[in-house]
Amino acid sequence: MDIFLQQIINAISLGGIYALLALGLAVVFSIVSLINFAHGELMTVAGYGMFFAIAVSLPFPFALAAAVIFACAAALLTERFAFRPMRKADMTGLLLTSFAVSAILRVLFQNGISARSKAVPLPAELSGAIDLGFFHIGIVPLLSIVTTALSLWALTLFLRRTTLGKAMRAAAEDFQVLRLMGIKANRVIAVAFAVSGVLAGVAAVLWIAQRGSVDPLMGFVPVLKAFVAAVIGGLGSLSGAVAGGFALGILEVLFQAFLPEAALPFRDAFVLGFVILILIWRPDGLIPAPVSRRS
Amino acid sequence: MKSFRIAALAGVMAFTAFSSSAMAEDITIGLATAQTGGLAFADQPSLAGFKMAIDEINANGGLGGKYKVTLDVKDTRTDTAATVQAAQELVAAGVKIMITPCDADPSIAAGQISQPAQIPTLTFCGTTPTIPDAVGDYMFGTYPADNGQATLLAEYAIGKGYKNAYILKSPDSAYTLRLPEYFSEVFTKKGGTVQGEGTYTMGQQDFAAEVTKIKALSPQPDVIMTAAYEPDFPAFLKQLRGAGITAPVLGSDGIDSPTTTGLGAIADGIVHTTAGFPVEGSKLAAFYEKFKAATGAAPETVYVATGYEIPYILDAAVKAAGSVDGPALRDALANLKDVEVLTGKVTYAGTNRMPSRDITLVEIEGGARKLLLTATPAPADVPKP
Repeated sequence: MDIFLQQIINAISLGGIYALLALGLAVVFSIVSLINFAHGELMTVAGYGMFFAIAVSLPFPFALAAAVIFACAAALLTERFAFRPMRKADMTGLLLTSFAVSAILRVLFQNGISARSKAVPLPAELSGAIDLGFFHIGIVPLLSIVTTALSLWALTLFLRRTTLGKAMRAAAEDFQVLRLMGIKANRVIAVAFAVSGVLAGVAAVLWIAQRGSVDPLMGFVPVLKAFVAAVIGGLGSLSGAVAGGFALGILEVLFQAFLPEAALPFRDAFVLGFVILILIWRPDGLIPAPVSRRS
Repeated sequence: MKSFRIAALAGVMAFTAFSSSAMAEDITIGLATAQTGGLAFADQPSLAGFKMAIDEINANGGLGGKYKVTLDVKDTRTDTAATVQAAQELVAAGVKIMITPCDADPSIAAGQISQPAQIPTLTFCGTTPTIPDAVGDYMFGTYPADNGQATLLAEYAIGKGYKNAYILKSPDSAYTLRLPEYFSEVFTKKGGTVQGEGTYTMGQQDFAAEVTKIKALSPQPDVIMTAAYEPDFPAFLKQLRGAGITAPVLGSDGIDSPTTTGLGAIADGIVHTTAGFPVEGSKLAAFYEKFKAATGAAPETVYVATGYEIPYILDAAVKAAGSVDGPALRDALANLKDVEVLTGKVTYAGTNRMPSRDITLVEIEGGARKLLLTATPAPADVPKP
């Protein structure tokens, strides 16, 4: 029983990171129909933000702030210089643009910073664990869960209570009508990218807290997971992205924990097989977007 | 554009033809290595060291004292198809020696092209001991092989009195799969027991499920061995120590990076293999100084040194062969014995062209590494690839 409980905590903590990542993709997708595969590189930028902040011996909280600010700035810059000029393009054109942005950023990191990973040493307190007697919970998983919950709460407040947030929700439903109401399209879209950048920055901190380093190709795995999670949840649906993220995290941990040893190397096949079952059951995802769009 | 390229190419070829007739002793070494993509972390520093050694050798008259070297460097973008393409272009351009990336798959693919052309081919730092046999008698490794590293680690573990080991491996690469398996082979042969095995997916960086399983083992393992490296190794270690598991951890050369020492107190006591360690006064330390003076930045990894050693291994072979003719050079390389390089001695004689060479064992303590020992594992103890 205690092992099961332990694995559930593990699953929630991993699912939370996936949820933040998927949410970052969904916020942008719901408004401009772009699956931003450069989202992973926003995380890498956040990681380098932390690295540079620590390298110039700023206190640790500043490094965290640097991560979020760098990712947010990178999101806005890619929007301004890559995605805005392509606004009129169809979904495929936007998708390819995001691949291009991702590839360009990776080569820039490799040749401009270093092809080798850079250590991001975290305070020692973060690698400990709290012993609750019947089970251990690591500080990092605990922080992941708390941070995810706080981020989701803050995002919900933003979307429900602020004018910009309301404009974004309206834009996700009908962008043309929103423009007719006199809301500036550029502004809403820029805010969507900024929000996705902040989410990428927060997720990057949690991701890097586990790996202790940043390298040019770091964003590849997380963005794939985020994409799968967003599809499970229902592309473009924010609550779906969160549900999809948790579903993927829970599936991964449970299969890893309870598959027989001989089948473990095929864990991802089991996970993705299960994802297919989910999609057969609910082709538009767990919680489909109001205006459902399949890629 | 295309016609310009052809014209340029023709010009270069004419120039090459002219210069080679003028100085008959010039040769070209072709490098089909990954300067971008997933292997750039190893191939970029290897190339930096390689180039530095070639410059020095050229200043002293060239390989074997008489063959000045020109380099033809192609980026394979960590793509096996692109590596084959680059190897084909290099073979067509008439290179005398070829260098391939730090990984088994592209090295074997490129070797398939250079083998029939009788061009001695060396992998930068591919560690899989099956690379030479998968290609043929023109293919050579240069870096300490997986089975050698595993042997040294297993002997160390036995020497420390560890009885029960747990190994963590990933089927995603030959390195992460086979190195722990070689370890378990030697460890068992020398009287230890492998109590359990775990599997992980590379890049996943979530080990919670595996760690929970290790935690449930009874008795707890005396030692945990893995060939995981970044980002997997730090994530594994953090989650392992976070769960309160204190068993010592043995690792391989993949964790020889600043990230591991940056992990703080939890990294204390980790013992891992590496190609070399710059003890004060050693050749390697002197080379690091020289590299820093030349480039303005200290080497980020020992790959700079192992890349630097390759031209000197070639130099020794060319001296022995007296020519750069394919078969003669192949035989000379295969018979090299005790070539002094930065990190110790390299021997090909009696091996399957994966060198028998010194391997270093280091321990992490207080955010720094300290040398434990440098040794060449006895060939009889090293498991067959």
